[in-house]
Amino acid sequence: MHHDDTPDLDLQLAQLRTGMAGIDTPRYVEQALMHAFSAQFAQRQPWYRRLGLLEWSAAGIGALASVAVAGLLLTSPHLSNRLHESNALVRIDNGAAFIALDSFERIEAEPAPRLVETEVPRTMLAALGLPATPENAGDAVRAEMLVGAGGEPLALRLSSLSFN
Amino acid sequence: MTITPTTSDDDLLRRMRAGDAQAFAALYRRHQAPVYRFALLRCGSADTAADTVQEAFMGLLTGRLAFDPLRGSLPNFLFGVARLLILKQEEPRRRESALPEFDEDDSELACEDACPLTRVLASEAAEEVRRALSRLAPHYRDALILYELHDLSYGEIATICAIDIGTVRSRLARGRAALAKALRAHALDTH
Repeated sequence: MHHDDTPDLDLQLAQLRTGMAGIDTPRYVEQALMHAFSAQFAQRQPWYRRLGLLEWSAAGIGALASVAVAGLLLTSPHLSNRLHESNALVRIDNGAAFIALDSFERIEAEPAPRLVETEVPRTMLAALGLPATPENAGDAVRAEMLVGAGGEPLALRLSSLSFN
Repeated sequence: MTITPTTSDDDLLRRMRAGDAQAFAALYRRHQAPVYRFALLRCGSADTAADTVQEAFMGLLTGRLAFDPLRGSLPNFLFGVARLLILKQEEPRRRESALPEFDEDDSELACEDACPLTRVLASEAAEEVRRALSRLAPHYRDALILYELHDLSYGEIATICAIDIGTVRSRLARGRAALAKALRAHALDTH
């Protein structure tokens, strides 16, 4: 287009071009768009790609800690013995249960053990690993308690226990 | 794969759709300024212009706006989107003014936008031209901004504004005349 008719206008438009030259969109627009981009593509990615470095690091540390604890439990003779001991604390045979409240060595070493008739709440038995249901949780069970010479409890024998 | 200034828009778009954030950022940085400047001159409000740019790129990102490289370049597509977004925003105001039939010569159609008198540019001379431009009818403004400020051809402007080339030519001539008249009147007032 020939602009000889409006030479001043060409000059003024050139001034406008110069004045506009350095103008950019405000920064917040780019930030908002990049945020929208991340949100959009996070939805499309599978779960394992959505996790960031921090989440993966936390998961890795957790897994390592679990492996370390398991290894410690399996390799430590002291802890291994304790596990075997705890397995032997409760024995159920033909509807009767024997619960050791102290170590077998201590029970065997007791010079004058006594048997005492007593009643034990089922909630306490549940804490020792015996089954209890909401219906019978409030009941008490008759038991024979083995006590030491000083009166300390050594073991419980439950002969009338229903495990249903 | 690295991104260089010669990486094509098509390549960046492909990578953006595959989830490459760097490609989207490069695409945005390459095209944001011209679209923002067009929107700023077209509507006269920095906030509206920023919203327009954001919405145009959001449309590209979400796929709501379907860009077809066979029908033109990405910058021209973005100019077209920005223009339509601004028109959409002006729609209620145009309806309120209840003007009669659209008239090519009707300089009264000039948009009393956001606040055309709010200062946008640092240079007083440039600001004076911008204000005079903001008082022109929108269809003159479209053609003038795209031709004089963005160096687009008649054909490109015709595609962006969805009009024929003859109409572009006449709008440019009338727009320039109206702008020159407004600036002369302003110069007389100030002296």
